[in-house]
Amino acid sequence: MPSPLRPSVLAVIVSCAAAFAGSGCDNTITSSEALPPLEMASLDSNAGSWRMIVLSSPTQFAVAAPVAETSAAYAVELAAIRTAQANLTAAQRNSIAFWAGGGVLRWNQIERELVARFNLPPAPRPDGTYPVPDPENPFADPQFPFANPPYAARAYSYVAVAQYEALKTAWYWKYQFHRRSPARIDGGIRALMPVGDLPAYPSEDAVLSGVTVEMLKVLFPAAVAEITQRAAEQRNAALWSGKAAASDIAAGLALGKAVAATLIARAGADGMRNAVGNAAQWQALADSAVARGEIPWISQESPPRPPMLPNFGLLQAWLMTSAEVTTERPPAPPSTSSAQMRQELSEVRQTVDHLTRDQLAIAYKWNDGAGTYTPPGHWNDVAAEYVRDARMSEVRAARAFALLNMAMHDAAVGCWGVKYTYFNPRPVQLDPGITTVIGLPNFPAYPSGHSTFSAAAAMVLSYLFPQAAPDFDAMKDEASISRLYGAIHYRSDIERGMEHGARIGGYAVRFAQQDGAN
Amino acid sequence: MKASSVRVLLVIVPLAASARAQTIDDGLLMPSGVLGTGSFYAHESWSQYWEGTLKRDNGNIGTLTTQSLTWVAGYGVTDRLSVMALLPYVWTRASQGTLQGMHGVQDFTLAAKYRLLSTPFTERGTLRAIVWTRASQGTLQGMHGVQDFTLAAKYRLLSTPFTERGTLHAMVVGAAGIPASNYVPDFLPLSIGLASRRFSGRFTLNFQAYAGWFVTGSAAYTWRTKVTLDRPAYYTNGQLYLSNQVAMPNVVDYTVTAGYEHGRLCIPISLSQQRTEGGGDIRRQDMPFVSNRMDWVRVDGRVIYTLPAPRELSIRLGASRIVSGRNVGQATTLTSGLFYTFHL
Repeated sequence: MPSPLRPSVLAVIVSCAAAFAGSGCDNTITSSEALPPLEMASLDSNAGSWRMIVLSSPTQFAVAAPVAETSAAYAVELAAIRTAQANLTAAQRNSIAFWAGGGVLRWNQIERELVARFNLPPAPRPDGTYPVPDPENPFADPQFPFANPPYAARAYSYVAVAQYEALKTAWYWKYQFHRRSPARIDGGIRALMPVGDLPAYPSEDAVLSGVTVEMLKVLFPAAVAEITQRAAEQRNAALWSGKAAASDIAAGLALGKAVAATLIARAGADGMRNAVGNAAQWQALADSAVARGEIPWISQESPPRPPMLPNFGLLQAWLMTSAEVTTERPPAPPSTSSAQMRQELSEVRQTVDHLTRDQLAIAYKWNDGAGTYTPPGHWNDVAAEYVRDARMSEVRAARAFALLNMAMHDAAVGCWGVKYTYFNPRPVQLDPGITTVIGLPNFPAYPSGHSTFSAAAAMVLSYLFPQAAPDFDAMKDEASISRLYGAIHYRSDIERGMEHGARIGGYAVRFAQQDGAN
Repeated sequence: MKASSVRVLLVIVPLAASARAQTIDDGLLMPSGVLGTGSFYAHESWSQYWEGTLKRDNGNIGTLTTQSLTWVAGYGVTDRLSVMALLPYVWTRASQGTLQGMHGVQDFTLAAKYRLLSTPFTERGTLRAIVWTRASQGTLQGMHGVQDFTLAAKYRLLSTPFTERGTLHAMVVGAAGIPASNYVPDFLPLSIGLASRRFSGRFTLNFQAYAGWFVTGSAAYTWRTKVTLDRPAYYTNGQLYLSNQVAMPNVVDYTVTAGYEHGRLCIPISLSQQRTEGGGDIRRQDMPFVSNRMDWVRVDGRVIYTLPAPRELSIRLGASRIVSGRNVGQATTLTSGLFYTFHL
């Protein structure tokens, strides 16, 4: 016997089901930024004269003159492109569409993915100790590297600087030879990605593929197969699209690899080798804090994990001398026994015990903890959209990422130096009643790395994209305060970190003001 | 890793009715015009979990405890159609480490159960149960030769005429669940749920013998909508996603229950399995993620007892244990509850 209730009940069920369909039975997620084909706003034809960072000048690496556009050898190259274009597969067209978005932006995306993949700490051994990732055995457990924030900041910066140096060199030689793109020379060759008036020799796509693949192989050796394949795809896309001929690509690839070798040599001697330290040194850090009358930092992990990269603060900075790294440091944090520290500790507890949902969302938005692309990756993510929208030439895009990532690398060096000078405990160590709503980083509190990274990044991005400066400033404030909401930092950590980061970012801005690119 | 959320969401929150067990996946309906309501408390804990397929413990979690208090109600719209609703409040906490527990109202679920078929088994035939055993031996000698020798034995365990034995029920259930608060799904294993909207279709066959025993088989497919995170990017299943939207793989579950009912007592025992149709594994030493492939097999025992007075009140006790899993905790769950029926 049907009851009068029944139709309404069914209506509720049906409407619940309809709510479903409306909100996402389509389960596809776009995995990366949409990058339209890059139509450069400017060719930046004078980029060969922009100031170098590591190289002495663009002529440090000579590029031999290409054969003439009218030569028989070059005619063979053009014929090969025509043949390739007549037989393009769907996969090849996808590859062209992917790389047409811009090599610097694409490689930045790829690198963010690599960082997220490798940003996992080693699991403890059964005896409670931790293995150290080994670059000589990168495929083992633990995998190499552990791409934590300092490691990532350094990786992003090396790739960006290497690309920038290589592209400035390429631009110099492009405007020595003025060889046109195949699609501009041969009416039988279509331009399947934007082919502007930029001289094709040496190919900027090949330069990028060569320099990036060599850097990433050193930084993420376990991803070698994938990196190599991506780089080959980029060169092929340049060829298939009618943008570059085989000789443009060969010259670019060789140039990119040569520049990478210089940067790899620098990386081998920048201090990273010794950044992990050893047990005696870790103990000395604690003893030193005790000798100063302070409570030393203790790992809150179980089993206790050695502190993250205690000697990262000794690394060679990009834009600061080691004396400048020291002089820019903030003053000492409040003593662990001071009234101010008690007050700040109480603020952390009050904050986390009364978090709003919006504050919680901010804590998660900027968490960028283990398994993510890290805070420097987040700022690259932010920057990528502005670089894309500005339709920057490859060399100008490389400049933007180099300035941003040099600033964040130097922020990591500066911040880590301070962290291990004071070896200051986290809030949960001083008040075990505090619990965190995000993972607790395994290194000393003062000052906040997020705040230092973010202030340095916002400073550089505000210089590059002044119309968006208020947005970067707001993001910097939000990223920084998110650490108080997460209950992992005191207010002093955040405020001194932001000030420190802004001073460090200033070095990159002053470099940019005088680099000839304005 | 998060067994609790998945379980509360999808399957089990129990619903006793008029002196008998009733859950979303059992074979029983509320009688027409009967309204039952009650609440159940569940205490679930685990200290080991499967990181992908690797079983481990974690000193930064210790024992993860999830408690829930669930309000349930069921109503017999007709003798063939019941509706039920569930709303849990969930608390989580970790015994070690610094991570903060979470609590809040989880997901509201509304389900309708419709009986397709109810057939008394009277002089219908004979049920036979047969066991096969088999021995085989093979040889491999180049290109030719004697292949396999097979020896088989067949033994009849049971041959019972179905005469006035019981009744076979078949029913379909549609259930929809929707997060009832803006909780955070991105803090597993401490999140209270997965924050996905869900719709599931279920088919259940139940044989209720007049002698008191019963068996039930039930299978469901659950569609899940995307989940929105508070962050702009995440890495899962071998890929970085520059999005705050997470695609959720759908879920299949199966349950087989056998039990006995006598007088005021009903004792069902279940074996159930959940299989997630995709999703990534937890990476080595990573946190679990909302769209992980969460699979498990669980055994579950319950006792439902209807009081002599008042006869409208029943109490329920239960225990379950995950016996194998992937990306979930090896949870042990104890439940207790009270259920009261009104004859409207």
